[in-house]
Amino acid sequence: MKKLKGVIIGCGAIAREHLTALADLNNVEVVALCDLSAARAEATSERFGIGKYYTSYQTLLNEVHPDLVHITTPPSSHFPIANACLSAGLNVICEKPITVEYNDFCILRDLAAKNQNMLMENQQLRFHSSVLRIRDLISTGELGEVVDVQIFVAVHGAAGSSYADRNAPHFSLSLRGGMIGDFLPHIAYLMHIFVGPVSDLRTVWSKRIVDSPLPADEFRAIVIGAHATGDVTFSGNAQPGGFWLKVIGTRMQAEANLFELPRLTFRRFRAGEPAVMSLIDGIVESKDALKGTVASFLKKLGGVGSYDGMTEMMARTYRAIEMKEPQPISLEEIDEVARLVDCFTRPEYKL
Amino acid sequence: MRVLVTGANGFLGRQIVKQLLERGYSIRALIRPTTSEPAEWRDKVEIFRADLRVHADLVSAFEGIDAVIHTAAGTSGGEDSQFASSVIATERFLDAMVRSSVKRLIHVSSLVVYDWSRAKRAMDESTPLESDIYVMGPYAIAKVWQERVVSRYAAAHHWDLTIMRPGFIWGPQHAAIAGMGRKFGRIYLLFGPMTRLPLSHVVNCADCIVAAVECPRAIGESFNVVDGDDIRVWRYAREYAKRTSQGGFFLPIPYRLGLGIAKLASMTSKAFFGKKGRLPSLLASRRFESQFKPVRFSNQKLKEILKWNPPLDFESCLDSTYSDRK
Repeated sequence: MKKLKGVIIGCGAIAREHLTALADLNNVEVVALCDLSAARAEATSERFGIGKYYTSYQTLLNEVHPDLVHITTPPSSHFPIANACLSAGLNVICEKPITVEYNDFCILRDLAAKNQNMLMENQQLRFHSSVLRIRDLISTGELGEVVDVQIFVAVHGAAGSSYADRNAPHFSLSLRGGMIGDFLPHIAYLMHIFVGPVSDLRTVWSKRIVDSPLPADEFRAIVIGAHATGDVTFSGNAQPGGFWLKVIGTRMQAEANLFELPRLTFRRFRAGEPAVMSLIDGIVESKDALKGTVASFLKKLGGVGSYDGMTEMMARTYRAIEMKEPQPISLEEIDEVARLVDCFTRPEYKL
Repeated sequence: MRVLVTGANGFLGRQIVKQLLERGYSIRALIRPTTSEPAEWRDKVEIFRADLRVHADLVSAFEGIDAVIHTAAGTSGGEDSQFASSVIATERFLDAMVRSSVKRLIHVSSLVVYDWSRAKRAMDESTPLESDIYVMGPYAIAKVWQERVVSRYAAAHHWDLTIMRPGFIWGPQHAAIAGMGRKFGRIYLLFGPMTRLPLSHVVNCADCIVAAVECPRAIGESFNVVDGDDIRVWRYAREYAKRTSQGGFFLPIPYRLGLGIAKLASMTSKAFFGKKGRLPSLLASRRFESQFKPVRFSNQKLKEILKWNPPLDFESCLDSTYSDRK
């Protein structure tokens, strides 16, 4: 069977996650990669057994004709690289956010549509096993109608973290919102999935550590969607770290930590004696938490890390290319998510 | 002679600057932009502030320099972070050196670059370097790659390179070393209590590196920098616990038992998860070996070529290390 050819541009930490996921796909071969650092490009090619490496993406694009280009560089370089790839008629999957500015995304979107190329954003949490399970519960009616969605993200952003490194400023500082801006695409597409297209929102941005180089380290948002409401808490100071998603339905609540693997707990409506039902709730919740914790630990030993969903995302993307099907996340939906990210950072939505 | 020292404000770098000053060298210290300058350097040391990972103009750091001592490296963080701090930073630094007239480079590497599984009874400079590097931890991967980059640049540009590979560098505020085992609560797990430690006290280590700067015969050579191999894990850990007044119990675990458990864990991980499996360093057999393998260490080459002997014996090193606790 002829394998599809992928190339990677940018060999940092996230590229390793792409390469690890791609190693699980038997219809894909990564044929080349590129990094500004020759040592990092060579080390990555040595580690993953990839035949060619480059230090110039233009040279790579001239010499290799891949089925899909993975752009895993810092966000400020996404636009020129994606533009060059799409102009050359190549399919692109780009790390989030696709562009720093929404207007630049529009240029790429139009170019992809005109050339009939794929333009995908890496939205791997969309395919996280816990998110897929919650979506199943919604589609089968078990969760009932979604009433509210709560997202709580805690990431260490204080002194000592790479986000606050004054010696080598973190790439996220090129984004409006800085460190928080780096996570907004995840928050935006999860909100879009569960509350539907967003009609209004309000945000609060603040800085708890005043002398930090970050533009903000705390963020709150209230979102009004077509089907439900949502609220977001992002903290660069709260510990322990995690990415909690809670979907509240008319029949059930489901909660998952998306930095963990399938650690999902449920609270259902139970008819009966309240004290007994409360006891049953506690036992069932403990069982779910223990089961998820053990499974998560084993998956970590297996090298899956917090990137559950990446392999599924890559598999669907390459399958779409192979079968000449529409891309797994439509351009329209990526556009709506990019617009929501833009709105999160706009002053007119600040409370 | 004017010497450029990178990582000059680090644990080893500061001691190197101190000893260079004592011997009358002119020094340019390369330190990170936000690092505070030690008071004892005032009016004696020229400061060049730069982060090697990002600084735009590194060429000017080499102006008027006769020799470079490169100690800058990442010692904490994940693989990507340590690779950037050690390897990409070195790559950028050496790209700038290519555009200068400087030819003399002393690179501070580490014993972790060796393939410990192939060291039989003794480890010396002829021990093969690690080849299966990606089974090792972030620090070892970065140090192997850093040395590769340095060696390639030196060969391509005909530089006068000396590579120094210290063992466990210890001293004031840095007495806890990986080779003495792990502390869990009040219990110290000592893997191979009678294993000899490749210790390099920071004062001795800096003295040895400065000796290499001064020795023309060191050019083109690599040296393992150890004070000797007389001190064993049990004694080192006992002195550490006693002198830091940390209570607790020593639990000696035979090296072969620890390695057997690590090998079993590694085999199980490989069977279930293949190459993707990730284990803590104590359960990854190759990493376990590189921390605790009982082999002998020699500083014979240092003695023969550099005519070097450690200025401080172990008792003096202990006094120097723990003097602030008296």
